Parts: sequence; structure tokens; C-alpha cells
Amino acid sequence: MTTILIVEDNEMNRDMLSRRLERRGYDVLLAVDGATGVAVARDRKPDLILMDMSLPVVDGWEATRQLKGDRFLQNIPIIALTAHAMANDRDNALAAGCDDYDTKPIELPRLLAKIEALLPAFAVVEGIS
Amino acid sequence: MTEATVAKSEPLVPILANFAQDVFDTVREPMLVLDAGLSVHAANAAFYSTFQVSPAETERRRVYELGDGQWGPPSLRTLLEEIIPGNSVFNDFVLEHDFPNIGMRIMLLNARRLNDHFVLLAMEDVTDRRRAQGLLNQIEAYAQDVVDTVREPLLILDGSLRVHSANRAFYQTFHVVPEETERRLVYELGNGQWDIPALRTLLEDIVPTSSVFNDFELAHDFPVIGRRVMLLNARKMRQSNHAELLVLAMEDVTDRRRAEAEVAKAKDAAETANRTKSLFLANMSHELRTPLNAIVGYSEMLQEEAVERQLQDFGADLQKISISGRHLLGLINDILDLSKIEAGKMELSLETFDIATLIAEVASTIGMQAAKNGNTLEISHAPDIGVMRGDLSKVRQGLFNLVSNAAKFTHDGQIKVLAEREEMDGREWIWFRVLDTGIGLSADEIVRLFQPFTQADASTTRRFGGTGLGLALTRRFCQMMSGDVTVHSVPGEGSIFTINLPATLSEPAAEPQIREGAPPVALLPGLPDEQPLAAIGTCVLVIDDDPLQRDLLQRFLSKQGYTVRTANGGEQGLLLARTLLPAAITLDVMMPDMDGWSVLSALKSDPALSDIPVIMLTMVDDPVRGFTLGASDYATKPVNRYKLSRILQKYICLHPPCPVLVIDDDPSARALTCAVLQKEGWAITEAANGIEALQSMERERPSLIFLDLMMPKMDGFAFAAEVGRRPEWRSIPIIVLSSLDLTSEDRRRLNGNVETILRKHGDSRETLLAQVRDLLDGSKAARMPLEQPMELTV
Repeated sequence: MTTILIVEDNEMNRDMLSRRLERRGYDVLLAVDGATGVAVARDRKPDLILMDMSLPVVDGWEATRQLKGDRFLQNIPIIALTAHAMANDRDNALAAGCDDYDTKPIELPRLLAKIEALLPAFAVVEGIS
Repeated sequence: MTEATVAKSEPLVPILANFAQDVFDTVREPMLVLDAGLSVHAANAAFYSTFQVSPAETERRRVYELGDGQWGPPSLRTLLEEIIPGNSVFNDFVLEHDFPNIGMRIMLLNARRLNDHFVLLAMEDVTDRRRAQGLLNQIEAYAQDVVDTVREPLLILDGSLRVHSANRAFYQTFHVVPEETERRLVYELGNGQWDIPALRTLLEDIVPTSSVFNDFELAHDFPVIGRRVMLLNARKMRQSNHAELLVLAMEDVTDRRRAEAEVAKAKDAAETANRTKSLFLANMSHELRTPLNAIVGYSEMLQEEAVERQLQDFGADLQKISISGRHLLGLINDILDLSKIEAGKMELSLETFDIATLIAEVASTIGMQAAKNGNTLEISHAPDIGVMRGDLSKVRQGLFNLVSNAAKFTHDGQIKVLAEREEMDGREWIWFRVLDTGIGLSADEIVRLFQPFTQADASTTRRFGGTGLGLALTRRFCQMMSGDVTVHSVPGEGSIFTINLPATLSEPAAEPQIREGAPPVALLPGLPDEQPLAAIGTCVLVIDDDPLQRDLLQRFLSKQGYTVRTANGGEQGLLLARTLLPAAITLDVMMPDMDGWSVLSALKSDPALSDIPVIMLTMVDDPVRGFTLGASDYATKPVNRYKLSRILQKYICLHPPCPVLVIDDDPSARALTCAVLQKEGWAITEAANGIEALQSMERERPSLIFLDLMMPKMDGFAFAAEVGRRPEWRSIPIIVLSSLDLTSEDRRRLNGNVETILRKHGDSRETLLAQVRDLLDGSKAARMPLEQPMELTV
């Protein structure tokens, strides 16, 4: 089963996205801020992370930098989610190490395409790292 | 005939006698020699010709009998019988008389006793002169009428600065009467309250050295009328008796100055309000979007569930909720974009992309919408149209907007999307054209089309749909990318919208020109439209190729209260300078496309721009250092007398002759400059290079410096840097003279010198910025007094 970690502070966004992904057969993990997101990623090693950028405690850019700086976690694809399509947001997200980028509100088919493109051909087997 | 007369008095010197006779007959004044019995002993040739008489009817006759007794005016008798006997000489006795033959004449008589026997009477006909004087008196009376009629208070002073006269306006304005004004020393007026230091400076220091003085601003707390700002114009006037008078015309500009200040304040307030509005919009639209995301998201999610649970009735309604939500979101995003642009926070993200792909994408997105209205959509461009560099998402959004509008307003017609690559002004441009056969636009609609927030007309909103922000945004986006969007349209026949963009945008352009008022008619690519902007004239234009330095200067100068516009290079800088007519320009010395020297030369050779103060500077990051030439003005060589005088007008020499230092290694160039300065009354010291100049300055501090840049030993840069380091010299205005046509070798040398200075003793960034601020502040005071600046601010 493919596991996706959603790091998002807005409760409704978190709720919507997790329910829609679960309906499509993904296992969903949740975190409400950047620090928790990094901790959950370390603990559970998801197959992919959807990262909101404006987060409390540790923001998405910083969390991404921490994840990408960790050699046990740096291979997990991260898709940045930001509120509005600002060109510099995209650049900043990519510069911080995100693998892709999408804007909110989520257009699910587009996001699913990006998720599928980034997931490895077969699911990562736990414990290999 | 009179030889005997003269011979009788001096019989031993016949040569002298002959000479005297010659003189007697040659002078143009009529002369009579009378004997003791007042009979005519002799008369000269001038006498006969003036009074049109012959010797026969003149000689040996009593003077009163001449011309049948008509030479007997009582005043002549008084002169001859009472005055002459008691004086050997009498001058300028006025005789006004109706003479026979020649009529009414005014004669000035000079009488001289030659000895006990003879009196010489010389006459001067001053009739014409007296008539002219009469006319002059009339003119003076007329002038007095004029003087009394003008509304400006006029004060006429004599050489000792006492009031000769004043006009009615003066008395009315200052609530005084002639008795307490005329013949008083000007400073004593109003119980000594007219003793104003600045007025003393004007009258005692400035006026004596120049015959005209214009627009000397005097702010003073006057008796009775209170604080006023007066513009004084002084003119010297020569009187008929050769005495010199000074006419002092005063213009009360208090209200004008107050209005100007209020306008500036209102403008500031408006700008602040506009920024606040943009910030508010940005925040508000952000706050609006969060709940909207939930509405859109949950309605879409419920739609999916409705499909899964086969609840078709719910599905259609949920779709309406999500479509409306997305529409609302689009509008909010447009508002956010626009407010970001206005707040200067919109940035460009440049990438190179394929033009054909972009057009195909846009066409496929809109294809359905076009087909729904029965339109055909046609794409046309050269197969090798290739790639362009710009902000892809903004180009796409703009093009999408145009094509979507065309599809919306055209029914059963044609829509064409064309793309062309074209070279203009040595630059490659991409032109996107969207043609439709739709309803078209009236001229009035075109004017409002690109303006944000003006789509107040409900019918327009219904026809166009949306917020009406789409085209305003498109235009701002294009302008951010150094391009524009224009429209041609005929109501009922269709429209052509054109986007033009540079094929290669090298880096983010300066902040977009917000040009609400400009009608979007066809423009040259990249050129701001021909219509001049409402004179801004108060902003500072920063020309620098380095975005970091640009940003640094912009932030620093904004904090100092300047409105700042930026340009990323020489070309754009000149373009903006012509459009904005900024109050001052900061110019980077070293730029890749067109270096500072070329820009400077272009600025100085354009009459519209040549008076704008330019600060040349350059900054480097490693280590954090900078250099400014610190010059107050620039002139190009060879110096032109007119240009130099114009520059000199900006500097007031309070106590002439003011010392000026001319530094140039070329003696002939120096001579040229000196010639003009000499004429203007400056005390000149010359130096052939920077070292000589510094030595000279140790001896005497000049009030003004003319500086050539390229010199042996110590060049202009090193010199300027040295002067800048000495606090007591820093305030001396430097006028840089540079050659009009610098060769590339010259430029390399100049830039090399700047680099050397940067390396050796460039200033820290803080010092540099402070210098720039001081130079800008200095240039705000258009006229710069060279000494005692405090006195002028009274």
C-alpha cells in the first residue's frame, strides 16, 4: 500500500485531501506543522509527502530542507502545495528541494497525475534504507 | 570783417588772431560779439545761418534792434544790462523767444566778457532737446501710470537704497502710505521690520554685480500682513539724469507655495491610500480564499461521493456550487494579482519556452468555448517561430485572456491567433495577434478597457462577464515584461488585440509603468506611449544593471522620502528619463549594455534632460564598497558658453569675486572655460592635474570646481575621491567636464580608474548612500548659494 504524508495546518484542507486520497486507495498520514511533519516522516517513512508551505512552528520550506538534508529521507518525493500560483513560490519550493509543486485549491486529477509521476515504479519496501 | 576786431586786442600775434577768427566761424553755435553799447561788433557764420540774416542788417546795430526790434525780450535785457556787467562769465541763461524768421526757439546763452569793451554771446539752440525732454516727461508720467496699475508691488530704490517711489500696489499690499515710505532707507520701512538679511544680501551683494535678478525667494514675517513668501525680481534702470534706480518687483507667492505644498501632501496621501488599498486587497483576498477553498473542495468531494452512491440529483447541484466557487476564486486571484502589481510585489519568473506549444495549449483550452458559440478557431504562425524567453505563466494568461474574450464576444464568426517574430530597433520582438469578427468595441469602451476597477457599468459587466480585470492584468503583465497589449476595433465588425513582447527578456524589468490614463492605442514595442505622462518630476530614477544595487538604492531612497523608479540599463534608463522627467538620476558607471558614460552623454545632449542632476556611482559587493563621483553637474566638452552660463546660474556667488578652480590638463580647454568664467566675474585659479589642484586648494578653498576627468598624474576620479574625504571640502560643488564622444579606449580607462578607486579606497556602502542622499538633497535646492547658506534661508 502506498503511504502519503499530508503536512497541512488547515483542518478542512487536511480533512478533504485525506478523504479524497483514501478513497483512491492511498494510506494517508497527517501532520499539522513542519516539525511534526519531519518527525512523522522519520518515524513512518512515507512514499510521498504533500507539503503545505505556510505552516506554523517550522514552515514548509524549512521542513523540506530538513528532509532533503537527511540521507535516510532525501529520496522521498515532496510535492509543495501553496495557496496561490506565485512564480517565486514555485521557484522557492523547487529551490528548497521539492520535487514538484501544485497550487491550492487542489484540482484532484492534476495532483493525482503529479503524485503518480513521482512515485517509484514499485512501492518502497520498509526497512531497506 | 572781424579781423580788425581781433587784431585790435592782440595786434602782435596775427597768426593767433587768424586762428581765433577761424574758430569763431567754424563753431556751430551762433555767436555775437557786442561792444560796450550793446551794438553788434561781429557775428559768426553760424549766427547768420541760424537766424537767416545778413551782415548788413546785423553789424553795428544795437542788439535789441536786430530783426526789426524783435530781438528785445526783457530777459535778454536783464542778462545784458544787469547780469553781465557784474560777472565776467555767465552760463546757461535760458532764453525762450519767438524769433523773426525761425519762430519759437529755446536758446541757452553763455556770455563772456572779452575785455572792458566786448562781450561774447554764444547761443545754443536747445529747442529740440527741450521738446524731447517734454516727451520724456510725458513718457515718465505714462510709465508711472503703468507702474501704478500693475498688481505687483513695486519699490523703486535709488543708489543709496532709499525709496525713490513705490507704486499703488506696494502701498496697498503692505498697508503703508507714501509719507512713511518715500526717501526712507529700504531697511527702515515698517519700523525697521524690512531689515531682512536675505534682502541685504540681494541688494548689497547680488544686485551690484548683475543688472537683472530674477526670482529671489524671500520668506519673511512682514509687519501688518504677517508671514509671506515673496519672489523678488530686480532690474536696474537709468534715469534721464544718469542716476541709476533699482526697480524691485515683488510677487506674493504665499498662496501658490501653500497650494503646492498641499498638492504634494495630497499626492503623498493618495499614494499612501493606494498602497493601503493594495495591501488591504492582498490581505482580504487571501482571507477570502481560505474558506472558498473549503467550499470548492467539499463540493467537489461530495460530487465524487454522489457519483459513487449514484445520487445524480445531488451531483448536478453540487457541480453548480463548485463551478461558482471556482469562478469566484478566479476573480479573487485576479484582484490579488493586480494588487500585488500595484504594491510592487509581483515578480517575474523567466524561462525559455516554445511559442507554438504555448499557442496550441491555449487554443485547445478555449476550443470548446469557441465552438459553443459557433466560431472557428484558426492558428497561424511560421513553422520555425521558435522559442522566446519570458514569464510563461503570465504570457499564457494574457494570451488566454485575449482568446477567451474573442470566443465570448463572437458568435458564428472567426477567431484567428497569429504569431510573428520581428526585429525592431535592433531587438527581436514576438507579436501575438488575436483577431475576431465579433461585436467590436467603441472608442469609449477601448479607453476604459484596460483600466482596472472602472467597469462600473452593469451592462458592460453583463456583456464581458468577469470582473473586467483580465485585460488590465494582461496589460500589466505585458508591461512588466517590457511589452504591451494594444487593440484596434470597429464596432460591429470585430477587434484585433495585439501583445508584443521582447523575444528575450534578459532579466526582470523595472516595476511596471502604471498608466491608467493612457488610451491603449497602438504603441511602438517597448516604448512608453507618445503621450507625455502627467509631469511627475519629483521621482528619482535609478539606473543600474545590478538588481541588488537597484533594490538597495530603491529601498534606501524610498525611506528618505523619494519616489523611486528603476531602470535595468542605459536604454531603459533613457526611455524612462524621457517619460518621467525625474528630479534626479543615479547612474551606475559600469553597465554592460550601455555604460554610464554613454548614458550620461545622451542625457546631457538631450535639451529636455540636460538639466536633470545626475549622480554617477557604482557599487561592488566584494568587499561591500562603492564610489560616487560626487559631482553637482556635468557638461560635455568642448564647453559651450551658453551651456556653462546656464550651469553657473545655479550657483550664486554671494561675495564676488568668488574663487573658482578650473582643473584640466589641456591648456586650450582650460582657457575656454576660464574665458566664460572671467566674463561672469569669477576669480579663477587653474590647475593642470589633481595634485596641482589639491595643492592650490590647501592655499585657497575655492567656491566652485570645474573638473576634467582624464588627466595625467592624478585624474578626476582620484581628485573627487580626495575632495570627498575632506569634510571641509565636501560641500564644494564640482562640475565635471567630460568629452562628448568618448572612445572605447577612453571608456576603458575611465572604468579602469573607477575600479582602481573601488579597490584602493572605495567608500563603505553606508557612507556612499549618505553621500547620495546629500547630493540629492543638494540638488533639490535648485539655486545653490556658494557661501553663507544660512542667510538665504531667513
